[in-house]
This record gives sequence, C-alpha cells and structure tokens, in this order.
Amino acid sequence: MRFFSTSMFRGLIAQVAGTVLGMGLAMALRVVFGLPLSSPIEAEDAHIREVIVVVGVLVGAIAFLVGSGVFTDWFKWARGEETSDDHTPDPSKPNWMRYFSVDFDHKVIGVQYGVTSLLLLLFGGIFAMLFRIELSGSGITFLNSEIFKVLLGYDGPHLYNTLMSLHGIVMIAGILLGVGAMSNYLVPMLIGANDMAFPRLNAFAFWINVPGAAILLSSLFFGGFDTGWVGYPPLSLRAPLGMQMFLIGVYLVGLSSIAGSINVIVTTLTMRAKGMSLFRMPIFCWAALATALLQFSATQLIGLSFQLVMLERLMGMSFFDSLQGGDPVLYQHLFWFYSHPAVYVFILPGLGVISELLPVFGRKPLYGYRWVALSSFGIAVVSFFVWAHHMFVSGMSPFLRIPFMYSTLLVAVPTGVKFFSWAATIWQGKTIFKTPMLFALGAVVIFLLGGVTGPPLATIATDLHLHDTWFVVGHFHDTMFGGFIFPFVAAIFYWFPKMSGRMYNEKQGKIQFWLMFIGFMLMSNLQLILGLLGMRRRVVDFDAALGFDTMQLALTIGGFMVFFGMLLFAYNIIRSWTKGEVAEGNVWDSRSPEWQKPNPMPLHNYEQPFEVVGEPYDYGLPNSRYVNMNPAGGSPSAH
Amino acid sequence: MIHLLIVGVLVVVATLGLGLLLTQTGILPAQASQQAITIDWLFNIHFWFIAFFVALICVVIVYSLIVFRRKAGEKGDGVYMHGNQRLEILWTVVPIGIVLWMAVIGGQTLSDVERRDPQAITVDVFAAQWSWRFQYEVTTEEGVRTAVASDVLVLPRNQQALLRLHSQDVIHSFYVPEFRVKQDILPGGEEYVRELRITPNTNGTYTVQCAEICGQGHYSMLAQVQVVDGSEFTAWLTEQAADCNLSDVECGQRWAETFGCLGCHTTDGTVKIGPTWLGLAGHAVELTDGSTVTADTNYLLTAIVDPNAQIVAGFQPNVMPQNFDELLSQEQINQIVAFIESLGN
Amino acid sequence: MSAVESYATKLVRNRMGLWLFVISDAFVFVGLFIARMVLLGDTRPHLDQGLGLGVTIMLLISSFFMNRAEVEMAHGNRPAFLRNIFITMALGVIFLVGVVGVEWQIAHFGPADGQQGAVFYAMTGFHAFHVLTGVIFLFIVWNNGRRGHYSAEKHWAVEACAIYWHFVDVVWMFFYVGLYLLGTPIV
Repeated sequence: MRFFSTSMFRGLIAQVAGTVLGMGLAMALRVVFGLPLSSPIEAEDAHIREVIVVVGVLVGAIAFLVGSGVFTDWFKWARGEETSDDHTPDPSKPNWMRYFSVDFDHKVIGVQYGVTSLLLLLFGGIFAMLFRIELSGSGITFLNSEIFKVLLGYDGPHLYNTLMSLHGIVMIAGILLGVGAMSNYLVPMLIGANDMAFPRLNAFAFWINVPGAAILLSSLFFGGFDTGWVGYPPLSLRAPLGMQMFLIGVYLVGLSSIAGSINVIVTTLTMRAKGMSLFRMPIFCWAALATALLQFSATQLIGLSFQLVMLERLMGMSFFDSLQGGDPVLYQHLFWFYSHPAVYVFILPGLGVISELLPVFGRKPLYGYRWVALSSFGIAVVSFFVWAHHMFVSGMSPFLRIPFMYSTLLVAVPTGVKFFSWAATIWQGKTIFKTPMLFALGAVVIFLLGGVTGPPLATIATDLHLHDTWFVVGHFHDTMFGGFIFPFVAAIFYWFPKMSGRMYNEKQGKIQFWLMFIGFMLMSNLQLILGLLGMRRRVVDFDAALGFDTMQLALTIGGFMVFFGMLLFAYNIIRSWTKGEVAEGNVWDSRSPEWQKPNPMPLHNYEQPFEVVGEPYDYGLPNSRYVNMNPAGGSPSAH
Repeated sequence: MIHLLIVGVLVVVATLGLGLLLTQTGILPAQASQQAITIDWLFNIHFWFIAFFVALICVVIVYSLIVFRRKAGEKGDGVYMHGNQRLEILWTVVPIGIVLWMAVIGGQTLSDVERRDPQAITVDVFAAQWSWRFQYEVTTEEGVRTAVASDVLVLPRNQQALLRLHSQDVIHSFYVPEFRVKQDILPGGEEYVRELRITPNTNGTYTVQCAEICGQGHYSMLAQVQVVDGSEFTAWLTEQAADCNLSDVECGQRWAETFGCLGCHTTDGTVKIGPTWLGLAGHAVELTDGSTVTADTNYLLTAIVDPNAQIVAGFQPNVMPQNFDELLSQEQINQIVAFIESLGN
Repeated sequence: MSAVESYATKLVRNRMGLWLFVISDAFVFVGLFIARMVLLGDTRPHLDQGLGLGVTIMLLISSFFMNRAEVEMAHGNRPAFLRNIFITMALGVIFLVGVVGVEWQIAHFGPADGQQGAVFYAMTGFHAFHVLTGVIFLFIVWNNGRRGHYSAEKHWAVEACAIYWHFVDVVWMFFYVGLYLLGTPIV
C-alpha cells in the first residue's frame, strides 16, 4: 500500500485528473468564446475533438509533474523558502520506494532512467514483433485479425503503419532514456562527484519522461498515425489524432533531453576530482560530454518543428502544407537538423562504453586515448553539418547536395579513428571473455557493419537507389545495435554489481549474447540485401513475385531471436538483483575510482574525495595507478 | 612482426572473398537504364571498400582474440601499448584522402546520372493517394495538341525521358529499382514540380513504386512501366491520342484505369481502400451517419465529384481526391458512372 | 566531503547552467527566424509600424531598468532595486499588452491566413510566451526582494532574472527587424 504514496502513483493520478480537467477547461473556454463543441460535419467535429483532447493532455502532463512533487522545491524557492541540500533518504521508508519517488541521488535517477528505458525498449520490441509476424510472408493476414479491430478500432495497413511508426519512435525514446541512464549513473561516479550539478533539474528531467512516454504510447488508442517516426507534413497534417500524441510525447522527452544534457555538461566541466584534467577523465565522460553538447542545442529544433506541426493542425497555420502556401521541405530541414545529430546522441555514449570496457577486459591501455576522446568531439561537430544527406531525393535545392555529400563522408574519418584504436587496443590483449566484454566485442563488429554501409548512402548517386529502401533500415539498425543496444547491455552487466551489490548470471548472459548476436546478424544482413535488391521500406505487403518471402521469414526469425535475448536479459537482471551472488569489491580488477569503493556504491559516492595521480587505462604498466583514494595520507587502496 | 605479416595475408584473402561475394552474386536488381550502369559502377567501388574495411578490422580482432588468448591459468596483463602518434596521424589522413576521392567520384557520377538530353521526351507524372497517372503531350495528325493519360508508364528504349513529378496531396516518391533512381514528389504548385531523368536501355516490364510513406495505401501504390522500342512507343501514343470511340461502358473502364480509380475500388468484390464497385449501383448503401441511400446515378455522380458528401459506413473521409471534377470532363465522368452501373448486378 | 557546498562554487555552476539554457533556447528562435526567411523571403507581414516601434522601445528601456535593478542589488540598495525591478515588470506587461492585446487584434490577418499569419503569430507568440515567463520571474524576484531576500553578496536569482530578461530582449531586436523592417510588406 506504500506504493500509493509514491511520486509515480500520485503523478499518474494527477495526470488523469489533469487531463479530464484540461478537457473541461477547453470546453468551457469554447463555450465562453462562443465556439461550437461539436459539428455535424465529420471533419470539423474531429478537429474540435482534437483541440479539446490536446489541451487536456497538455494540462495532464503538467499535472503529473506537480502531482509527483518534482516542482515542490522550486515552488518553495519561488516563495522564498530555503530547501535542504542534504538528500539523505528517510530511513523509515523501504529502499525500493526511492525508485518510485522523486529522489535527487544521481544513482537512483540513473536506475530510474534505465528501467524506464528498458520498458520502452520492450514496448518497441513488441510492436516490432507484431509487424514482423505480418512481414514474414506476402499478403496481409495477421494484422487483419479481428482482435485488432475490436481493441483499437483499426487494422490492416493502417495498423501496420502505426506499429511501424511507434516502433521507431518508442525505440528512440527508449534509447534517449538509456543514454540518460548511462550519463546520470556514470558521469558523477567516474569523475569523483557525489551528485550531478543540479539534482532537482535532474529529477525533473527524468520525471517528465513518464507522462511523455505515457502520452506517446497512448497514440495507439487515438487512431494511431501513419507517417513513420519522421512525421513529414503534409501527411502528418492529415493523420488521425494519434499524431498529436506522438508530437506531444516526443516533445516532452525532448525537454528531458535538454535539461539532462545541461546538467551533464556543467557536472563534467566543474565537478571533477582533484588532478583529473580533461584528458585524464575516463573515456566515457568524453562521450557523455560530446553527447550533451549535441542534445542541448539540436534538440530544440525538433521541438520547434513538432510544435509548428501541432499549431498547423490545431489552428490552420500554414507552415508546411504547400497547398496552403507552406513549405514541406522546411520541415525536413528543421527536423533533420536535430534528428541527424540525434543518432550520434544515441551512439556516442555506447561507443564510450566500448572504449571503457575494452581496456579493462583486454588488460591493456586504451590505444590513443586522446584521439579516441577527440574523435567523439569530431563526430559531434561534423554531425551539425550533415543533416541534409537525409534529403538527397527530397527535392531540396540541388546545389545543397554536393557540400552535404562531402561533410557526410567526413564523418567516416573520426569514426575510423575509433575503429582503428579499438582494433589496436584488442591487439595482443589478454582478453577475459566475460559477458560485458562479449557484448562490447559484438558491438564493435555490428557497428563496423553500420559504419561501412554509410558511405553508399552518402554518395548521392548510390543513394538515389538506396534511399527509403530496407538498406537504410539495415544500416540504421546496425548503428543502433552496435552503438547503443549492445553497449547498453554491456554497461548494465558491467556496472550491475555497483547498482545492486550482486552479480548477474554469467551463463544466461552468454546465452543471451549468442542469441542476440546471431539473430541480429541474420536480421540486419537480410535487411541490407533486401534494400540493395530494391525493396522499399515501410510497406505492409510485398509482391510474392519479387521472391522476398524466404528472406523475410528468416528476417523475422532473426528478429525474434533478438527479442527473446532481451527477454532473457530482463529475467537475468530482475532475478539477480535480489538472488544473485553477492559481489565483493573490485570484481573486474578495474583501475576506475568507483570500483575502489564497496558494492553497491555508498549513498554519497565519495565521502572522502580522491585524487587522480595517473592515466586511467595504464593496464600492464607496473606500479602505476590512476587514483589515490586516500590523498590525505595513509596507504593507497588502488593499484 | 610475423603476426602482422600473417594478418596482412589474411586481410587480402578475406577482402578478395568478401569483395567477390558482394560484386558477383547479384545483390542489385537488373540494370534497365543508362543511369543504372553509372550507379552500379560506383556501387562496385563501395563494395570493394566495404570488403576491405570489414576484412581489416575483423581479421585483426579475431586473429588477436584467438592467437594471443589467455592460456589456462595465465595471469597478468596484456602488452603495454599506449599509442603511436604517427600511426594515428596515418589512419586519420589516409581515410580523409579516401573520402575526399569518393566525394569527387560521387559528384562525377551524380552529374553523369543527371546529364540532360535536349531530345528527351516529357512525361508528366501525377501521384495521388494512392495511384499513379502518366500524362503525355501529343500532336495528332491533324495538328491538334492533346494530352494522353495512362495508368501505365510507357517509355521508348534508348531515349531519355524527362519525368515532371506532381503530387496532388502528400509527399510521394517515384522509384523503379531497375532504373536505380528515385525522386520525391512534392505537393503544391509549379514551383514544387521536381524532375527526374531516366534513359531506359532494356525492353521489359517493371514496377513504379511509391518510396515515401504516404498513408495506408502506400504499400499498394504501384504502377507498371513498359520499356518498348521507339516505333512501338509512337504507335501506342497515337492509339491513345485517338478519341475514345468505344461504348460508354468501355470508355468508362478506360478512364477508371487511367485516372487511378481502380487503385482503391475493385471490380471483383474485394474491399480495398474504398467500396467495391461490384454490385454497387442500384443497391442500398449504408452511410457513416446511419442513414441508407440507394446508389443511383445521382449518388454515383456526387460520390465522384464530392466524395466527402456521403461516406459509406466502414470507410474514412478525406481519403479520395476531391478534384475529379477538374481532372475529368463531364463526359468522362458520365462514362465512368456508366461503367460502375454495368457492374451493378 | 561536506554536504553543503559553498555559495561561490554553486554560483559558477548556476551561471554556466543558465548560459547553456540561454544558448539552447536561442536555437528555437534561430529556427523560427529561418522559417520566416524561407516562408516570407523578402516580404514581411503588413503591420502597424508605430505600434511595433513603440513596444520595441518599451522592451529596450525595460532592459535598462533591469540592469539598474541588478546593479543596485549588488550595491545593497534594496529600495532602488525594488523600484527598478518593478518598472521593468511594468514595461514587460505593457509590451505584452501591446503585442498580444493590441497588435494581434488589429492585424489584418489571422493565424490561419497564409504564410504571413503563420509566421507572424508563431514568432510573436513564442516570444510573448518568453516575455510572460520573464514577467512571472520578475514578479517572484520582486516579491522575494520585498520580503528581504537577497543581499549584495548573494543575489543569484536577481542575476539569473536579468540574464534571462536581456536574452528575451535581444531576441526581440532580431524579431523586430524580421517582422517590421525586412523586405516589402504584403498588401
């Protein structure tokens, strides 16, 4: 029953009440201004409903935040009251409640992010499996089942489009939260800080995701939307009400991204331990910093473009509908100005995890630390100037294409530096094949596929063939699995003892790896081949005469292997959280400061600040150490 | 040193194997245009680079993991290698050179693909949710300029076709895999018309696909392309330019095909995006507002020019284009109605 | 390590955080300005020039008083600080009334009337929302200042408010040029 006093429960109740209240408010305002509440004309009636529902949903989102209590301290500040900076939890409440409540500890927030992320990934995975069943063969069969019509009010091609669009955007939301999980959990711990720079902002950044995700998923029940995750107008101007839920949900998740990234930047730049110069930071922090720089700037543009679509739908303001004087290509520019850097937001932290893990398990220094660190920045900077490569066939000004081809191909250079450095790090290492390392190695190979399939999409002539085919789908899944999913799983396994104080199940972890690696290879290579053969993407059905049936069936099998792998993962971590073997001390024999502390990490990470006295990854160099945990004197605890 | 030598040999072998696999196993569709030849040339260059880089990284990693593996009971760390500034500069500068060169040939192939032929024949392509219509301008023997509409894109071999792409509603994309090229089609006035140039070089039948998601009928937004000899093309065009001197029902069928009606309405009783025409005329129709009307001539006429006036139960409004009174002459509309009525029983 | 960090340490972080937020927010306005350039090009909405100039001057002057308020607080002069911040707030309200209350009502077009309606209402609307939040922020600072909060040494909230207000002001300078001066009016 204690659950009813958690922020999560109070917030959700407030959101429901707020939504109803907001809808009532919108209706009352319409009555006051003499506007009709319904219309005999179907299209107008739908529009009135849409206005009322959107106002309700927005009020509901704010109500969630107020109800959950993230604003409480800020309200106190506004009233001129002091708040305590001591965030020691109430000992009378059980520990699990912290994870469902507004808590300012970055470790709790990191886990909150992580669990929400995994939940969204699960939803995204279920959507994918549903349409994979449909795509296993030609003809529309499964999605025409009566059950969907009964549950959702629509089926067939529109259901496919909705599932496919939601798969994309829910996965992206899940990945953004996963990035937040890694940044929040790891950055303060790795740089020797006890919390993030702005703990309240941090809590806000997490909690706004909850109503955001709920609204996003609710679009399934508001008629869905059929635009893909890109939401190009004019199609998105004509899509059902579910479109608005997509726009609002993503907007809220985007706000979280901005707030979170400001926190990461300030934390990294001002709260490092004594002696930790930028080039002595654990490499993950470089990746997190580069990611945050992309997030805090570019995200605003997707927020803006989505708001403009919302306004166009609600008020008829013609930004993007060329039949009304707008410009559909403008939307694509605004959208991709964020959404291209966004893919680097998704992968850079993952690449940071790979760079972090390879030296620990290879027992060798990270090859060319500075180059790896700066390559993250290289990728981040270049990524601002490549967005229009998504638009080579969009009908934008033709003269823009050549410069964007040059800039896009240049991304290959810093990415190449990472690969060469990783290969050199692995070379002559004494590798320990624990599950996190397997996932890191798998990530390198998968991301390699994502990397080499990039240039054919960058040179315009070949892109004329590949654009909007399954090749793009394959390329993107390669980068996401290599750059996020595999490293994220690796990171969760690797820092699992830090979070829970226990070990995961190694055997299950290895089974999961092979299931996912083989399944994914099957899936993504078939996607690439189908694309080369000219199969366009986002179609519910394909002509049996094309001969794609067998490949699509194999692709579905690969997809399910990945899905079951992730289910096994969920089982493994849930079970090990309470039942796993107790993990004492420095389980990986790592040089990093957090592993010099007991498991799980103490409440206020480092009561005694440590001092950095060496390079982070000098494995194999005798008598060297990275941190001195006890700089005031006494015996060093790190090797 | 010996390790590096072995790795080098293995990389060469793996590159050759992978490269041959990619270039020789037909993972691209048949070539049916001049543009496809240029584009496939560039594809092959990419394939060899892909083969090399995959081989390089994978061989190094796999070789190292196997050969330098930890022996049973072995303790301790790997070799202490911190980095090598020269090597880093090398693997930064060389890729820069490669990508710049790729960008240069990328630009060249693009200009090759887009080379203009002043003799090109012009075809206006009209895309709508969810049908294609192709319009040719012809001058008849009597010197009258007239337009020919078709739901099949017929193109003469070895002559460049300039496709002017129009959309009537949302963004679509013109894509024929065998031609290798693609262009999004934007709605809006003349300033949003985009062009695509194709020079077909192999006779045959292909499929135009819409490659940009455009709503629930996106998957079925297909049309046939026929590449034929020049003389055959001229003959076809002349035949199409002739007035429809068949019966009303047959002419109606022809318009229903060329103007894309049959993309959503079937004549065999299956339900696609709109109601089927089989057994429609003269029968009772239930509407979304619960009322019932009889599908008489007046109802059918209204349903064509003002489709939102009465929506049949189970279907969505705003799906069917609302500009058929502009696209079709009154005679053509009457003939289509006659065709629908012929399917009434 | 002490749980309470020094005010100076926090001030550094707060400043950096706020500036990052300002830069981030600026992207929205840059995006809107780009949308304006794409959709309207060398034309501009048909607007009341006198009114536009009037509200612009109001906002400019308000920035001056905002600055005075901050300087007075830094010197510990509370009454002058309160006076100046109140004037800033009042000018902000006048600006809002001028744009939303008057310009929106007398404009020859509504939001749904073509590109000029879309661009005009979006740009002024997004900006007016920021002015509104700024006025609320000013009110909170004024109210807390009235009750004796802030000192010459510790007045981060005043500084934050000033940075935000100047930012909103600078944005309007660009928007004023974009909406009232650039190009030829659409008749």
